[in-house]
Amino acid sequence: MAIMISIPAGAIANQESTLSLTENLGSTITQTEASINQTLTQIDCTLTPSFEGFGFSPPDSGSGSTPPDFGGAVPPSSGSGNFTPGQFGGGSLPGQFGGGPFGSGGTVAMNETLYSDIASIENVAAVAAVLQASQGENQTMTSPDGRSFTRIVPEYVIEGIQLTSDLVDNYPILPSNITSGRNLQAGDDGVTLLSEENAVYFGANVGAELEILGETFEVIGIHGSSGVEDRTTLYMNLSDAQSLTDNNGYITSLQVFAENSEAVSEVANSISDLHPELSVSTSQQRLEELQALQSTYTTALESAEASVSQMQNTAFGEIVVAVAATSLIVLFVMLYTVRERTKEIGTLKAIGFSNWAVMSQFMLEGVLLSSVAGVVGIAIGSVAAPALSGLLLPTVAVLGGAGTFGRVASMGSPATVSITPELMVIALAAAIALGTLGSLYPAWRASKTRPAEAMRYE
Amino acid sequence: MSEPVLKIENLSKSYMLGKREVLVLSDFNLQVNTGEFVSIMGPSGSGKTTLLNVLGCIDKPTSGQVLLDGVDVTKLPEGELYKIRRNKIGFVFQTFNLLPYLDARENVELPMETTKKSKSERSQRARELLKMVGLSGREDHRPQRLSAGEQQRVAIARALANDPAIILADEPTGNLDGKNKREIVSLLANLNLDQGTTIVMVTHDGHVAAHTERRLFLHDGKITKEKQGLHLAKKKSVCPFCSNQIQTNEIFCSSCNKKLDD
Repeated sequence: MAIMISIPAGAIANQESTLSLTENLGSTITQTEASINQTLTQIDCTLTPSFEGFGFSPPDSGSGSTPPDFGGAVPPSSGSGNFTPGQFGGGSLPGQFGGGPFGSGGTVAMNETLYSDIASIENVAAVAAVLQASQGENQTMTSPDGRSFTRIVPEYVIEGIQLTSDLVDNYPILPSNITSGRNLQAGDDGVTLLSEENAVYFGANVGAELEILGETFEVIGIHGSSGVEDRTTLYMNLSDAQSLTDNNGYITSLQVFAENSEAVSEVANSISDLHPELSVSTSQQRLEELQALQSTYTTALESAEASVSQMQNTAFGEIVVAVAATSLIVLFVMLYTVRERTKEIGTLKAIGFSNWAVMSQFMLEGVLLSSVAGVVGIAIGSVAAPALSGLLLPTVAVLGGAGTFGRVASMGSPATVSITPELMVIALAAAIALGTLGSLYPAWRASKTRPAEAMRYE
Repeated sequence: MSEPVLKIENLSKSYMLGKREVLVLSDFNLQVNTGEFVSIMGPSGSGKTTLLNVLGCIDKPTSGQVLLDGVDVTKLPEGELYKIRRNKIGFVFQTFNLLPYLDARENVELPMETTKKSKSERSQRARELLKMVGLSGREDHRPQRLSAGEQQRVAIARALANDPAIILADEPTGNLDGKNKREIVSLLANLNLDQGTTIVMVTHDGHVAAHTERRLFLHDGKITKEKQGLHLAKKKSVCPFCSNQIQTNEIFCSSCNKKLDD
C-alpha cells in the first residue's frame, strides 16, 4: 500500500515538476524567438572594462553574482546586454568612473556624452541610451548538487529610456505588450510603466501615485512580459531614471539601430574601432547566440518530454505490478485464511449459516483487512513516499548541459512529492477495491466448504 | 413421546474412492422418537459419522429418505438445508468447534445470529443455556480459558440455542478425560430426562453408551444389534435388578447395591 501511494505520488510530483520544467523551457523558447525578431537590426554597446563579455555566462562581478537561474523571476537578459542586475547600494561599484550609488553588477556606467559620436557613424539609424539599474537583495541558495551560491534576487529593475518620438515610434525600445493603461510616449516625464510583477510587488495600479526611491511617479500603464528580460522591469524616461538613481549623465548601454540588417556588422565594426573599450554585440552575434540557446532549449525540452513519457511508462508499469501484487497478496492471504479456517467455516455451516452469510463474512473480513492495510499504507507512504518514489522511479534527467543548463535540468530532479487528499482517497479506494477483488474467490471457496468439514478430527 | 422425530428409510450412501465405489451405508432403516436418547456404536469405518452427517443434513445420501420432523430433507436444496440445520438440529462435535475469538456467550449466540431474535433476546437465551449447562459466571471466557469439559458444555449450550428437534452428537466425549466424560454424558442424559431433548449420539465408548436407553451397534453400514440401556430404567425410575425405586443421579442401586451401569 505504501508503494501504491508512493509511486503515483512520486510520479505525479515528477511529472508536475517536469511539466513545469517543460513549460518553462517552452516559454523560454518562445521568448527567445521574440527576442530574435526584435533584435534584427539592433546592436548593444556596453562598457566592460575588466573582462570579455561573452555569451550567456555572466562574468563574476563585484557584487558576487553567479549565473542567473533560468526558472527564476528574472532570467538572464538577452536583449539589452545587462546580464546581471546589480544591487542598489550594495557591493562595490564597478563603474568607478562616474557611476552613482546605484550600480549594476555586470554592467558599468558609461558617460553619456563620450559616446555621442556613435550616432554619426554611417548607416546608423538611431541610438537609444539606456540606463538600467536594479533594486534587489543577496540571497544565498543551495543548488541541488550541494554547492551553495549567492545570487541577487532583484525586486525590480529600473530602465530609463530616451523617449524621443523617433525612437518610440520606429524602434523596439519599449515593451510591446501593454495590458492596461498606455505605453510610454515621447516626452513623458514623471511617469512609469510597470510590469505585471512590479504592479503586484508595489501594490500599485494604473493611475496610482507610486513612490520609487523617494520620488513619486504616476503609473501610466502596465506591460505584460513580452521578452525574457522584462518581467520585473519598470520603464521610465531616461532623465528620470538618471536623477532617481543619482546617475546624471550616465547610462549603462546604448542600443544602436542599423539602417538595415546587412549593415549591422559594418556598423558594429565601426563602433568597435571608435570605442575599443565597448563591448559590442550585434544582432548577428546575438541571433547566433539566441539560436544556439534556442536549440539547446529545444533539445532540453525534448529530453524532458521524453523523460516524462518514460517516467509515465515506468510509473504505469510499476502501478500495474503493485496492483497485481496487492490483489495477489490479498488473494493468497485470504485463501490461506479460508484453508486454515476450514473447520470453523464447516462449523458455521453445520450450525446453520447460509452460504451467503459465510461468503459475506469473509468478504467483509477481506475488505476490512485491506482498508486497514490501505490506511497504514497511506501513513507509511506519506512519510516514505519521497524515498520510495526516488527508488522506484527514474529521476528526470534533462540534458545536463554546462552552467546554466545544468541548473535548468536540476530543477526537475528534486521532485517534491506531494500526497494530496485526492490521492489518498484514490489509494484507499484502490485498496478496498483490490481487497474486495482478492477476497472474492476465497470467500466463494469458503461458502462452498462442506459442513461435514467441521467433523474432521484433529 | 412416541412420534417419530427422525425416520430413515432405505438409506444408502456410497463414496467414490478413486474409481472404486465404497458402500458405507446400505439399506439403512431407523426411527427415532421424540424424547429418545440413542447411541450408535461401532468400530471405525462402520459408517457412524457418515450416518450422522446424513442425518444432520451436512451430507447427501446416495438414495433413501431422511424424514426430519416429517420433512424429507434429502429432497431439499442447499439453500433450504441451512435453515433445517439451524432450526431443527443441534450439533455437538468431538472437537467442540468453538470459535476461538468469541467468548462463551457469543459462541452460544452464534446459531441465533441469522434468526429473527433480537440481540437482547439472544443474549438472554445464551445466558440461560450457559446456566443450564453449569457455566454461570463464565459467559465472557474465551474457549482457551475454559477446560475441555467446559468447552464441550458451551458447545452443548450452543447446540440447544435454537431449541432444535434433535441433538446430534459425534463422539462428544472423545476428547475428554474420565471425569469430564462422565459429567458430559450426565449432562446430556439429564437434558434428555429433564427437558425431553431427543439425542442421537455416536460413540465407541461402552460406558458412555450405557447411559442411553437405546444402543445401536453398527457394522459395515448395518445395524447388527440393538440393546436397551440403563437410561431407560432411569427414565422409569426402577432398578433393573431389584425393581425398587431409584434416583436418576445414582450410580449404585440403593436397594440391591448393584452398579447401575453396564
